[in-house]
Amino acid sequence: MTPLDTALLVLLAPLASAAVITLLLARRGSAASALSVLAAAIVAAGSLSLAFGGGRFSGSVEWLRFGNFAISLGFRYDDLAALMLAIVAVVGLCVHVFSLGYMHDEPAKARYFGGLSIFMFSMIGIVLADNLFMMFIFWELVGFSSYFLINHWRERKSASDASKKAFIVNRVGDFGFLLGIILCYWANGTVGLGELGAAHAAGTLAYSRLIPLLLFCGAVGKSAQLPLQVWLPDAMEGPTPVSALIHAATMVAAGIYMLCRISVLMVPQALLVIAWVGTLTALYAALCAVTQRDIKKVLAYSTLSQLGYMVAAFGLGSAGAAMFHLTTHAFFKALLFLGSGSVILGCHHEQDIFRMGGLRTRMPLTFWTFTVAVAAIVGLPGLAGFFSKDAILALAYDNNPAVFALLALTAILTAFYMLRLWKIVFLGNPRSEAAGHAREAGISVTAPLVLLAVLSAIGGYRGAYPRGFEGILSQVPEAGGATHAVVLGASLFVLAAGAAAALAFYATDGTDALETRLPGVFGFLSSLRTSFDTAYDAYVSKVQQRGALILNFIDVVGLAGVVVRGVGGAAEVVSSGLRALHTGRLGNYVYWFLFGVAVLWAYAAGIL
Amino acid sequence: MKPTLDAFVLLSGALFAVGFLGVLVRRNTLVIFMCLELMLVAATLALVAFSRFNGTGDGDVFVFFILTVAAAEVAVGLAIIVALFRTRQTIQVDRLNSLRR
Amino acid sequence: MTTLGHPAFDPLLLSVAAPLAVALSIALGLPKRYAVKLAYVGFAVPALMALIVWWGFGEAAKESHGYAFLSGYATGLDGFGIGLKFGINGISLPMFVLAGLVGLAAGLYAIQSNAERMKTYLLLLLVMQAGLMGTFASVDIFFFYFFHELALIPTFIMVGVWGGRDRTYAALQMTIYLTLGAMLSLLGLIAIYAKSGAGSFDILVLRDTLASRPLGETTQRHIFGLLLFGFGILVSLWPFHSWAPLGYGAAPSSAAMLHAGVLKKFGLYGLLQIALPLLPFGASHWSQTLAVLAGVGNVLAIGLVTMAQRDLKQMVGYSSVMHMGYAFLGIAAGSILGAGGVVMLMVAHGLSVALLFLLSTSVYQRTHTFDMDRMGGLAQKAPALAALFVAATFASIGLPGFANFWGELPIFVALWGFSHALTVVALTGTVVSAVYGLRAAARVFFGPESAAFSQVAAANPTLDLAWGEKLPALLLAAALLFIGVWPRSFSTEINRALGGAAETVVASR
Repeated sequence: MTPLDTALLVLLAPLASAAVITLLLARRGSAASALSVLAAAIVAAGSLSLAFGGGRFSGSVEWLRFGNFAISLGFRYDDLAALMLAIVAVVGLCVHVFSLGYMHDEPAKARYFGGLSIFMFSMIGIVLADNLFMMFIFWELVGFSSYFLINHWRERKSASDASKKAFIVNRVGDFGFLLGIILCYWANGTVGLGELGAAHAAGTLAYSRLIPLLLFCGAVGKSAQLPLQVWLPDAMEGPTPVSALIHAATMVAAGIYMLCRISVLMVPQALLVIAWVGTLTALYAALCAVTQRDIKKVLAYSTLSQLGYMVAAFGLGSAGAAMFHLTTHAFFKALLFLGSGSVILGCHHEQDIFRMGGLRTRMPLTFWTFTVAVAAIVGLPGLAGFFSKDAILALAYDNNPAVFALLALTAILTAFYMLRLWKIVFLGNPRSEAAGHAREAGISVTAPLVLLAVLSAIGGYRGAYPRGFEGILSQVPEAGGATHAVVLGASLFVLAAGAAAALAFYATDGTDALETRLPGVFGFLSSLRTSFDTAYDAYVSKVQQRGALILNFIDVVGLAGVVVRGVGGAAEVVSSGLRALHTGRLGNYVYWFLFGVAVLWAYAAGIL
Repeated sequence: MKPTLDAFVLLSGALFAVGFLGVLVRRNTLVIFMCLELMLVAATLALVAFSRFNGTGDGDVFVFFILTVAAAEVAVGLAIIVALFRTRQTIQVDRLNSLRR
Repeated sequence: MTTLGHPAFDPLLLSVAAPLAVALSIALGLPKRYAVKLAYVGFAVPALMALIVWWGFGEAAKESHGYAFLSGYATGLDGFGIGLKFGINGISLPMFVLAGLVGLAAGLYAIQSNAERMKTYLLLLLVMQAGLMGTFASVDIFFFYFFHELALIPTFIMVGVWGGRDRTYAALQMTIYLTLGAMLSLLGLIAIYAKSGAGSFDILVLRDTLASRPLGETTQRHIFGLLLFGFGILVSLWPFHSWAPLGYGAAPSSAAMLHAGVLKKFGLYGLLQIALPLLPFGASHWSQTLAVLAGVGNVLAIGLVTMAQRDLKQMVGYSSVMHMGYAFLGIAAGSILGAGGVVMLMVAHGLSVALLFLLSTSVYQRTHTFDMDRMGGLAQKAPALAALFVAATFASIGLPGFANFWGELPIFVALWGFSHALTVVALTGTVVSAVYGLRAAARVFFGPESAAFSQVAAANPTLDLAWGEKLPALLLAAALLFIGVWPRSFSTEINRALGGAAETVVASR
């Protein structure tokens, strides 16, 4: 089996699974889940064999042609794709197995697993795509998969609204993305990644500020950067494994991946904008996370923040650093979400952290794996997150001190809210009955946690990765000398400061210490969080809906009413005028006859 | 004094005008009919006068046609008036206006 | 020149004759149960012929100008240059298949709909189907118009008699408005015949004549203007669109499916097949006006109006007006790419809007209202209906995997070469359509059950789609998916057919 065939199998196995589930297994939940997990296993096996095999290949086939324009579908398996595919496959398999346990009693299980399969297909399509049109196709399909999965519990209005919001906000980003692709096509004559790379090397690429920024719009939508970040926290309406897979590890990372793919098109001005968008997103999201009560919402804002880090890293000039953080983040964020899923399951679907507590003793495995993940995300030295975050901070320190300062501040906040979460959920005494009776779930839930914990621990060491990823990992900047010392010191400081503050400040008594002791700050942070949504809602209801209603009025009353019925009315006026001639009286008719004779005579006599 | 052609034409014109005025103004259908006949006769008179003064017999021949047509027309017209009276009980023209609107 | 001759088995003639024959036998007094059974045949034969033609088109001899399956029949009107001539080329092939498939779906849906006076209803639908097949199979532009009228008249009757709210006014408005449009187009078509001096309405003859001796610039401008506005009215170009939402809101489902899905494309097809190749200078002169009307009027203005709709069927009606804007923009762009996108979009939109009208009626049967504010939570009781409706919605907003994507994308790419501003306007349409489409789906199907719906559901139990409804819906959805996954099924032939057609427009700029 050639590598190309393996790639084709990896792409199509989940699609086949989704098709079979839709057509045949729509009511057979267990069979559907088994099939979906099987497909995920095939994907994992194939991806890892390709990764360890070390081969690189590409190939494409023309799919549509009109005149000189053609869209083709093809694979481009290079270093970047190898790494991303492995991440998607491994995290995907973990989530599939976790879902077996988590969604075991769910009535609409078949629909859920069908959705997971179609998502895997779409995501792999993005990873392997060799040109921007193909990437756009799968980009939209991933958006659809996200809509479908967020809407899983569709009897709830909140889920229905959240899924709609996610798709529409993504579409706004896609608007810019597609415009950028079209511009790129017209400017360069091609959107193939290989051809663009070759043109860049040969110096014939058409550079512009607009194209990379428009393409970045797609990443702003998909990776939930400011100002399109509003959909991600709402997306937590979906089942927790969905949040883990899609809204933490893979789909939202697709934006970063896409940026790395099109790095040849970047110009310094665009990179500066990108860096600032990422930094501001990171800071904003961290501030929002501090006041959250829902465990998943905390993690959602944390994801936003870390995505901001990745975007900022790319903007500062290093795709390698962005990808490295993407990799480590995928591991520990998926672990955090799955761990929270285990907690939620154990506490009988309770998501408010102030009604948890004392789970350290009751759910030890979850506790330890969660701790590993928290340590990784806050940057405890030795764990994966430390290395990747350090790389970004070093990059920032060398290139843009303002960004460095903000990212460092964000790191303090990250430590702060993560330790807050950890303490309130796991330490102290149980604050509700459900928490008191919490137990570990079965192996299908705990095994993925352990695997991801191991990966979060060793994921920072280049040696842990197969040879095939060297190409990317070598691009991760190594800080030298003085920078290294400063950054190391800074990261240790922020870690210590944030963690100590959180541990000291928050108590395990069921109240939010910030809310009770510093209500002003709490209020400010809460309003910060809702500000975007309020603004968008105001726009939709006051501007958009009103505009629509006005236009509707003009259309119905103006066009249909005045013009169409007006024409009819004019015809009616003329006809009633003519009708008035029909008096039915002989005398009138004779007079008209006389008049007609006079006209004819005048005409004949030459007067008329 | 022998009447000139002008006199005959004038008389014919006057008769025609009287007849036409009668059609316009009178309300009784029978009277309107009589005025129509008057117009026809006026035209006949003009024809006879022209044929006499031109010395040909064309106008005289025409008279026969006109009289025949007039007779037929009167027969049909009076039949219509009788039928109309039977249904409408009136032959006043300003009350026979059901074609209005 | 098409010599008047025909093969023994002429799928094109059969596709027109079969429904007419069934209609005639129903008119002559066939009892109802036989009439219904025969109606199945009447709708199935055109679909079958369409598939046969599709299958065989690749290998069929391209006799002239890329046309295959050419045939001609004497009608006695040869003195005027009119003859009943059939033929299919790469542009009419997708439309012919579209007519067959949507006709079959509409027919199946009508048969299971238990309408009153079923025999007359089916008779009218069969006549409409025959007209639709004939329109796209005609090579003679007079009969092209004739079959269109044959399909249009039953629409008026169906809307007026079997329609819903406001049906009398809607039918009257549609009749007068569309007849006006048809008359303008007829004037234009006759003008082409008269001015070209070719002495024939046969499009192949006209093409040859006008290729060697093109019409003068002013003549082209005037005739193309006539055709543009005549066809434009028929395809609901802004501002001549007011008949569409009212008409579709009142129309019974099968009539709406056939009209919005197939018949509306007559104008676009006419522009692509007849006006653009024969009047290239006229086309490039009017392209700016057309693009602005379509872009700002249809896409932007009507897009926003669609967002304000509360009535489900009216919303679908307005959305179809909006999507015609994309098609007009593709024509205005004036390149092979744009025209190719238009043909793909015509087929895709036809399938998706027919599916949406079908499902909207199914929703009405279960909720007894078209007012979306009174609906909610239907997915819990009717999951298959929900799944198909969501699929149809995503298809119509251009999700890749469905055919509409392959129509919209080439149009957008081609449009950038024509006007940057209008491309941006057109792309905002993708966001707008997502907003109203998903909003409608959510309001009708998701969330908790609304109070109004619970009342209705308590009175009569809500059932999921029956097979009579599911079969036509699946047929349309499968076609959308098939073309969406494998666009080459049509695009190769379209591309070949356009190789000559659109180039003349580009050259004259």
